Amino acid sequence: MSTVQIRDVRKSYGAHPVLHGVDIDIADGEFVILVGPSGCGKSTLLRMVAGLESITGGTISIDGRVVNGLEPKDRDIAMVFQNYALYPQMTVAQNMGFALELAGTAKDEIKRKVDHAAGVLGLEPLLQRKPAQLSGGQRQRVAMGRAIVRDPKVFLFDEPLSNLDAKLRVKMRAEIKALHQRLKTTIVYVTHDQIEAMTMADTIVVMQGGHIEQIGTPLDLYDHPKNMFVAGFLGSPAMNFLDGVVAKEQDAAFLDLGGAGRVPLAGGMSHTVGKSVIVGIRPEDIGIADTGGIPAEVLVVEPTGSETHLAVRLGGQEIIVVLRSRVALIPGERVHLSFNDAKFHLFDKDTKEVIREL
Amino acid sequence: MTATSASLFDNRIEKPQRDWVLVALWISLALVALIWVAPFVFIVFTSLKSNAAVMGTSAFSPPVDPKFANYTGAWDRGRFNTTFFNSVIITAIKVPLGLFISAMAAYALAKIPFTGRKMLLLAVLFGTMIPFQVMLAPLFTLVNGLHLIDTYPGVILPYLAFGIPYQVFILQSFFRGIPKELSEAARIDGASHFTIFRRIFLPVSLPVLAALLILDFVSTWNEFAMALVLLQDRDMWTLPLGLSAFQGQFSRDYGQLNAAIVMTVLPAAIVYLIFQRYFVSGLTSGAVKG
Repeated sequence: MSTVQIRDVRKSYGAHPVLHGVDIDIADGEFVILVGPSGCGKSTLLRMVAGLESITGGTISIDGRVVNGLEPKDRDIAMVFQNYALYPQMTVAQNMGFALELAGTAKDEIKRKVDHAAGVLGLEPLLQRKPAQLSGGQRQRVAMGRAIVRDPKVFLFDEPLSNLDAKLRVKMRAEIKALHQRLKTTIVYVTHDQIEAMTMADTIVVMQGGHIEQIGTPLDLYDHPKNMFVAGFLGSPAMNFLDGVVAKEQDAAFLDLGGAGRVPLAGGMSHTVGKSVIVGIRPEDIGIADTGGIPAEVLVVEPTGSETHLAVRLGGQEIIVVLRSRVALIPGERVHLSFNDAKFHLFDKDTKEVIREL
Repeated sequence: MTATSASLFDNRIEKPQRDWVLVALWISLALVALIWVAPFVFIVFTSLKSNAAVMGTSAFSPPVDPKFANYTGAWDRGRFNTTFFNSVIITAIKVPLGLFISAMAAYALAKIPFTGRKMLLLAVLFGTMIPFQVMLAPLFTLVNGLHLIDTYPGVILPYLAFGIPYQVFILQSFFRGIPKELSEAARIDGASHFTIFRRIFLPVSLPVLAALLILDFVSTWNEFAMALVLLQDRDMWTLPLGLSAFQGQFSRDYGQLNAAIVMTVLPAAIVYLIFQRYFVSGLTSGAVKG
């Protein structure tokens, strides 16, 4: 178990910068997920922690020791790759014991550790099989077993579930989380899937274009996104964004959504009166009103069983509404939407940063 | 409606249409195989016939009274003891050594980043482009200058020099195709480059190594021109040189001549049969998500 400090870490390929000075503090035993769209630099950062990429600037420390110049094997880390990277000619047991064998560990000790890890992951019946004889989920579990056997200070996961089908992904997600709760080893995990990040992480680091956009707990980021990127990236379906102008009438601030109508605004937002803003509202914070509300036209109805997703047109803008109940609506029907104004997120139209309540 | 129900309840099983392209391909395959096998059959049959039988029967008629003495006769008269021994020594050293050096060089060129890597690869590529016939005279001067004429190193070293470039070229492109995550996982596991090469890359590359081994064995075993220039002492001759001399001396003893040819070719055929089973694809299957 150990801490990881990333201080002003930069990476460039020639003149092309990929990471522009990144700072992250990872506590002992913490499960940190780096999340962001393709090309945001998250995998590069993970590979730099692993020692597979050189560091252009800044320092990376593991357990207080700067590891910039250390070889991967000397960093006391273990990595699980997206495509498993199992040694094809070795059995599962040999794959898992390879690192210990190279370290000169005694055969009995290797067997004991491999058996223990296999027990943790339910791999006992597969120990004598070759990777080609395993399913995708089993291979991924072997890759995790290979990491566990070494008992490293830090586990690094590089999009380990991306190659699995949806059902298996949900299962493995729970397994990795349970594994972390059991082993309590520090984990740095990279994914582009925000659901993985939300469900598994203690801390999420949202990245874009080689910058960190925001760091926080999953629900903190979900409820208090710092900017439009974070707001739009986390959550499925994604947050709705509407153009509006903050106005005031009889001491009450409201948001004028143009032709769509107007919605009341919480009191703390009165300092933005007269300002053109973008308002963000999560699909589950919009409801169907029996009376009043803003009229909208139903475009698409998507029942998922547990909830119903509606695509509706509000004024000229299209938004998504998630209802917890089943509704008998048909496309083209008119509905009235009610907004939970306490859940509005106002963003500056120019900077895309959130406008805080006063 | 009528037509639909008629076709739905039609119980006759239609014959699959004959694929004429496939038929033509099979016929050409059989023809080509026949053309390739014919000389071999001719040689084996002739090697078991007496001179009289060779003259009196069709070349493709099987020997009625197989004359195995042709083999022992050719072995003695053609000094096969010496030439066979020399060929075995040269091939047994050159082929594995060359392949090992090539594989190591290919690994470095494919997986270890260093400045000048591309230039080095180009230089290797250039090596595959020079026909060795052009180099025979300077090669002789060089080997002679090193006092290595009529020695094993004198012929093994040039064989290595001319054999390695194309093996490096083929292997490095194969190694490039091996997912980088495999070597990265091994690096994290604590493996050095040599361990990665030996424990991960070599086993994964068995099919291509087997193919190169067969090709290299056959070309080294049958090599004539360079051996002719570099080995002048009869006691250092290899099989092809011995066979050539035998042909000059006993060209009218067809039975023995063909027995000599069979004995020369046989080891290459055996090596082929042993290693062709490694020509299986999919050795990396299961390593990474395909």
